[in-house]
Amino acid sequence: MENYTLETRHVSIEFPGVKALDDVNFSVSTGEIRAVVGANGAGKSTLMKVLAGANPTYTGDVLLNGEKVDLREPVDAKKLGIQIVYQEVDTALIPTLSVAENIMINEMVMQGSYIMKWKYVREEAKKALDRLNIHNINVRTLVQNLTLAQKQMVLIARAVRMDCRFLILDEPTAPLSTSETEELFRIVRKLRETENIAVIFISHRLNEILEICENYTVMRNGRIVDNSPVTEKTTTQEIVEKMLGRSIAENFPKEACPIGDDMLVVDHLSGADGKVKDVSLHVRKGEIVGIAGLVGAGKSELCKTLFGDYKKTGGTVKINGRELKIRTPSDAVRQGIALVPEERRKEGVLVNETVSFNLSAASLGDYCKASFINQKKVNANATKLVDELGIKTPSINQYVRNLSGGNQQKVAVGKWLAADEDVYIFDEPTKGVDVGAKRDIFRLINDIAKRGKAVIYASCENSELLSLTDRIYVMYSGRIVAELETSEASDPRITNFSVGGTEDKKQAANT
Amino acid sequence: MESKAMNKKSVGKFLVDWAAVIALIACLIMFSVLCRKNFASSSNMVNIMRAMAINTVFGIAATVTMAPDGFDMSAATLASCSAYAFVSGYLWFGFSVPGSILFCIVVTLVMYQLTMFLILVCKIPDMLATCALMFVHQGLGQWYIGGGAVSTGMKTSWGADPARIQLSDGFNAIGRAPWIIIIMFACVAVAHIFLTYTKHGRFLYAMGGNKEAARLSGINVKKYRYLAGMITAVFIAIAGILVSSRGSSAQVMCCDDYLMPSLAAVFVGRTVGGAEKPNAVGTLIGAALVSTLENGLTILAVPYYVLPAVKGAVLALALIAAYATKKEN
Repeated sequence: MENYTLETRHVSIEFPGVKALDDVNFSVSTGEIRAVVGANGAGKSTLMKVLAGANPTYTGDVLLNGEKVDLREPVDAKKLGIQIVYQEVDTALIPTLSVAENIMINEMVMQGSYIMKWKYVREEAKKALDRLNIHNINVRTLVQNLTLAQKQMVLIARAVRMDCRFLILDEPTAPLSTSETEELFRIVRKLRETENIAVIFISHRLNEILEICENYTVMRNGRIVDNSPVTEKTTTQEIVEKMLGRSIAENFPKEACPIGDDMLVVDHLSGADGKVKDVSLHVRKGEIVGIAGLVGAGKSELCKTLFGDYKKTGGTVKINGRELKIRTPSDAVRQGIALVPEERRKEGVLVNETVSFNLSAASLGDYCKASFINQKKVNANATKLVDELGIKTPSINQYVRNLSGGNQQKVAVGKWLAADEDVYIFDEPTKGVDVGAKRDIFRLINDIAKRGKAVIYASCENSELLSLTDRIYVMYSGRIVAELETSEASDPRITNFSVGGTEDKKQAANT
Repeated sequence: MESKAMNKKSVGKFLVDWAAVIALIACLIMFSVLCRKNFASSSNMVNIMRAMAINTVFGIAATVTMAPDGFDMSAATLASCSAYAFVSGYLWFGFSVPGSILFCIVVTLVMYQLTMFLILVCKIPDMLATCALMFVHQGLGQWYIGGGAVSTGMKTSWGADPARIQLSDGFNAIGRAPWIIIIMFACVAVAHIFLTYTKHGRFLYAMGGNKEAARLSGINVKKYRYLAGMITAVFIAIAGILVSSRGSSAQVMCCDDYLMPSLAAVFVGRTVGGAEKPNAVGTLIGAALVSTLENGLTILAVPYYVLPAVKGAVLALALIAAYATKKEN
């Protein structure tokens, strides 16, 4: 079998203001399973998109067996045998068609024949699945009836059906159960052995990488900082240290304020289609509690389950000892829970409405008389909040879509300030927000805590959690795996828990 | 425990998948028992099929549009224009029956270019574009026929004497049994073969399932949406021909009322056999269900003005079957 090597030389990508990739030299050869690891935003996915031809703006060279190739379109990459299976499998599948058609779709497009050769399509699809030793998927089933793991298998089958030398799996195990992950690993190993394919494996779960990969590449801030083989001596701690390096300390300290009794008590909460499992936590008055964990660990799902947006399947939620009955977000708001969601533009603000309307949207009832809005009161409230929060807007009648990201976020927070709830949940509030606005948002959150409210702050930025919170829960695969006093926590400790690591007591005592 | 739950689930799925067929069989049995010979006679079966033919052909047109997730509110108003073209071609211009059919199909195809222009070039959402076109079709069509019906014994809209003063037996035969029934089954067969056994048909379904994934698989989505539109236009023309032949004239807005029943047939048929997408056989079954209900209830002397409520209830039940079982998110 012929061997191929895919390399990047001095590949860089610049987005306005950020270097997403900075002079990256990456190399992978057929017959190898290589892991690419790094913290969120380290540039892993960006690099993979370059290789898949989905990031045409790169500078530098990509070489196949030493010869320069141009990857400006997904088709270019496919022609060279570079196939990618993205984490969001649903974007690449057609739910209403059968498994066979989904596996064969590319060929159906290329083929000249007008008649659908059902027998051929089904047989070839079956062969592709057989090649991967997958026998529990019927090729006649509609894809929408498959599980997530099975959908992934279908995509892998589609990839290897075509000319495939390099298979990129972008966080393939994130949604999978343990047994499904094992099944995937079996397939990956088989591909490497019998087909001489290079597999590039992106994962946040480091113990998986130790299990399956031969080599790993560590990325940090758009650069490759390390290439090493996986040996028996390699530990997750070692990789975590390489991933983090020296982190830039951002300091927004929590201001001291009296911490009272338990306000929010959550017992054995499960829900969000199994993405939140048996979560117990408590938040006291005036306390800011962080939820740490990687992307996909279930932080957002936890926030939304508490808020009634995702279905709760078990457990109880109490505020001040009173059990809540929450089935919809509307119930949650009425019973004292506010959520500033992650997808700000989609979920947090009404972008086509004015600043003043947004700021009163959560408490509009307070500004109404017999269902008619008292515009004067609304405007007075808006003017006050714009001042307090430092929202940069030419007027309160400006449309929110015209504000910057940071200021939109302040509006999203501000609408809840007016509503005066008991528990405030923030889900990645600093995502895409510049440093100045960040500072304002932290000040806001501090103010909320000082008013004796309970605050939950979910973020994958550990440095923020370490400076802002009183206590931190770490989530992994939908469960809370650790509870740390912030004063005793550190970035490596949090990261270690969030990649599924454990620590023995001796190590804990040392940190 | 788990297998029991799975069993329950698969039984439930089976019931939903075959709900329309089960309902159809149940109706047939029920009316056979209740109405005795009046219902279960072969002549009455022909009645039912004749009644459902036009709905079915309209339904097939809608099926082809809806396969790639399109929608056409203006199908019925366009069919009225097709009917005007067909009858005027025969009476006013003196074309032969095949000539009139050809004339009618060409006119419909030409008019459908406007629909495709609004949807593909101007990028107006299907629903809105065709909603506007409903009025355009009504106005243009009536301008062409001069505001009155196209029938024997009437002058042309420009006041000249028509080329023919009588409809031939061949003209009238199209809209009567057995031809109307044969044409119906032919339309279903053609659409079924096209959607199931040609790759073009599968691409239309691919677009309906996930347009972005279809585009990234290399399918020319605009070209195929256009193709779906042209096929729809041909079926609309056929429907218009059936309506005018059956009525021996093209009355003003003669087809406009067929839109909703045909959409109902498509929605009822969506889930048939677990297809979960608009499909030709399902549409046939949907149309059969509605016609059987109407026929049976009429024999049972239920007043005709109550029938729409029954039709509506059937549609609602079909939609419940389709959507109530969907998972949240």
